[in-house]
Amino acid sequence: MTLNAAIVGIGATEFSKDSGRSELQLAVEAARSALADAGLRPSDVDGIVGFVMDSNAEIALARELGVPELSFFSKIGYGGGAACATVQQAAMAVTTGMAKTVICFRALNERSGHRFGQVSVAAASQVNTSGLDNSWHYPMGLGTPAATVAMAARRYMHVFGATSEDFGRVAVTARGYAATNPHAWFYKRPVTLAEHQQSRLIAEPLRLLDCCQESDGAVAIVVTSADRARDLAQPPVHIAAAAQGSGPDQYIMTSYYRDELTGLPEMGVVARQLWAQSGRNASDVDVAILYDHFTPYVLMQLEELGFCGRGEAGAFVAAGNLPLNTHGGQLGEAYIHGMNGIAEGVRQIRGSAVNQIAHTATVLVTAGTGVPTSGLVLSS
Amino acid sequence: MTDIAKIAEEVMAAGLCSPRAGRDPVNQAMINNWTEAIGDTNPRYLEWEAPPAMTQVWTMRGLHPVSTPDDPLQIMSKALDDAGYTSVVATNCEQKYSRYVRIGEELTVRTRLESYAGPKKTALGEGWFFTTESTWYAGVEPVATMLFRVLKFKPGAAGSVGKPIQPLVSRDTSFFWDGAVEGELRIQQCGKCGLLRHPPGPTCPSCGAAKPGYVVAAGTGTVYSFVVHHHPPVPGKQLPFVVALVELPEGVRVMAELREVDPASVHIGMPVQVGFAPVGDFVLPVWHPAGYTPPAKPVYASDLPELTFDVTPTLVVSTALATRDFQDVHHDRDLAVARGSKDIFVNILTTTGLVQRFVTDWAGPEADVRRIAIKLGVPCYAYDTLTFTGVIAHRDGNEHVIEVTGRNSLGAHVTGTVEVTLP
Repeated sequence: MTLNAAIVGIGATEFSKDSGRSELQLAVEAARSALADAGLRPSDVDGIVGFVMDSNAEIALARELGVPELSFFSKIGYGGGAACATVQQAAMAVTTGMAKTVICFRALNERSGHRFGQVSVAAASQVNTSGLDNSWHYPMGLGTPAATVAMAARRYMHVFGATSEDFGRVAVTARGYAATNPHAWFYKRPVTLAEHQQSRLIAEPLRLLDCCQESDGAVAIVVTSADRARDLAQPPVHIAAAAQGSGPDQYIMTSYYRDELTGLPEMGVVARQLWAQSGRNASDVDVAILYDHFTPYVLMQLEELGFCGRGEAGAFVAAGNLPLNTHGGQLGEAYIHGMNGIAEGVRQIRGSAVNQIAHTATVLVTAGTGVPTSGLVLSS
Repeated sequence: MTDIAKIAEEVMAAGLCSPRAGRDPVNQAMINNWTEAIGDTNPRYLEWEAPPAMTQVWTMRGLHPVSTPDDPLQIMSKALDDAGYTSVVATNCEQKYSRYVRIGEELTVRTRLESYAGPKKTALGEGWFFTTESTWYAGVEPVATMLFRVLKFKPGAAGSVGKPIQPLVSRDTSFFWDGAVEGELRIQQCGKCGLLRHPPGPTCPSCGAAKPGYVVAAGTGTVYSFVVHHHPPVPGKQLPFVVALVELPEGVRVMAELREVDPASVHIGMPVQVGFAPVGDFVLPVWHPAGYTPPAKPVYASDLPELTFDVTPTLVVSTALATRDFQDVHHDRDLAVARGSKDIFVNILTTTGLVQRFVTDWAGPEADVRRIAIKLGVPCYAYDTLTFTGVIAHRDGNEHVIEVTGRNSLGAHVTGTVEVTLP
């Protein structure tokens, strides 16, 4: 079945370290902005998709927006792995006629409120299978996202001879784009590889500059059918493919019991579907927006998605032939759980990105890594 | 000169503060409360003499203290509170007794600031030390003196960030944690097809059988990957620390903290062996380098009979109140935890009393305690066990100098010297 869906509106708040407003207000502001971008009104909306981790219920957002009725609503789990899947859900809903216009959103005070970079005792003590899974890791001292990635990164370095500099070039690239993006937290603040190497150790082998920021902000995306999209304010950005993926023996950030610890099989699951649905492959991608909460997983994604062979991503990034995270990524722009990356993909197709890549027709966007994840292929 | 140093110089220059009278005359009721709480059955405290270690109790200021503006301890405490050094811990206490005080005597105390030092980096955080010298009088006769050294520090600058994280246990995983208590590293094994699996689950992903059993692993393995954690702080861990994912010869991987190792020496392929560490109500598996032998439990020499206290909450609270010490950390667990402590803990007046009891239990009721000088180490929290040992360091006729140590599960809670004259 081919998706008959397009992104017609994107909206966001400012990205900051202290929004000074509730997460619900952030969600409302981003949603209103996205609807205005599309030339739509709240009364046009009949579907909302959020994150399980979001503190805002779909109905709370609907109330604040003045959306009269919802015929479709859902939440996707697994942290930032949900990002592209919210759009997938929306695309399925509009393709099947379950909804006409769907808002996908993420709003978080992740710096001024609950900081993901700290040890979450709540994550370890939740009474469900995820709490049980975490019991093999948190009490032993592995309690931050950075540390969970560092475990795989160490193995990747050992097996392929990758270096901290290979990780660092991902950060340098992202911060380079952020430096020319006025919406980015690190606007006008590029970094060098030497600065990366001098940044302090967080969870060895990861350094501070291997880690994304903690941010306050919200992003909303409006999805409707491709047919309806033609009549709206912006040139439609078609959803050429949308997929979720979970791999063998999957855990949340701690899939340490598989045969190998050097890849992201769940992203491989996503990749196979994206290329099959879209009839494209990695060589067709003009711009890649790859989820970058931590630099090593950007390298592993490039390999899972077929841009290069196993263990070759360091050299691939160094060569610099693929425009990557042109908004500055979550390392440079903001950490909005991957939703700001979808917005950048839309801008690159529209031709309105601040770091516009000429003749962009196909954009790949991925969601959170190390967790059950998702991806999108966007096209003009 | 800092403001704190300036205030300290002024207080030192002012010398002795005005005399402060005890709230009650020396009386049998308070002595009884104290001896019951300490567990001291010395018969001489039943007649007309008070325990020398109680001297400070007579002039404690009670639950609702009246302000005494020229008291050096108060002036310094306020100055340091205002500068952000809000936490306090006593570090040293040296008491000398000219004679035992008697029922009906009315004591007064005068105090001066003896010295100060700071700011200093300490294990607890940045802080200032200061020492006060107090003298107790019965009428005009000095009966006891005390040098009292405290550290006022900025909390949170170092140390704990909360209680260690404990595992969530289900009926599918309890065998593993029960095994750790027994000193066994248990790996789930399917009762039908024999598949080994970690982490465990209720059914076999290979054959589907719901017949989980387990085998006890040899306890060896090699490092498959590892993390050296530097930031942020992790509850219950000292930074930096190593977490290792270890491949077992049985064919599964088990992750745990790798202890007793220089982080820089850890490498993939490094041989390790399992150990077990109690954390709260649980025992966690930990990894040690292969060949590691845990230090033998030390045996401490003691000329005096060892004396062991079960530090129950009742002991902590009853002794705190019997010494008229109403600091919340000695009776209110919620507040003690909120202030960064593991639990309520024994106050210094009680530690002094326990040291005295340890020595006089041995020396007998006829012995006179002349001096108790103690240095405080690790806190003594409720639910711990405190064991005293003592050696006779010096003897000159009837004069004995006893070196006393009180240890609990965290280490040495108190070390000190007691001078006692035997009959």
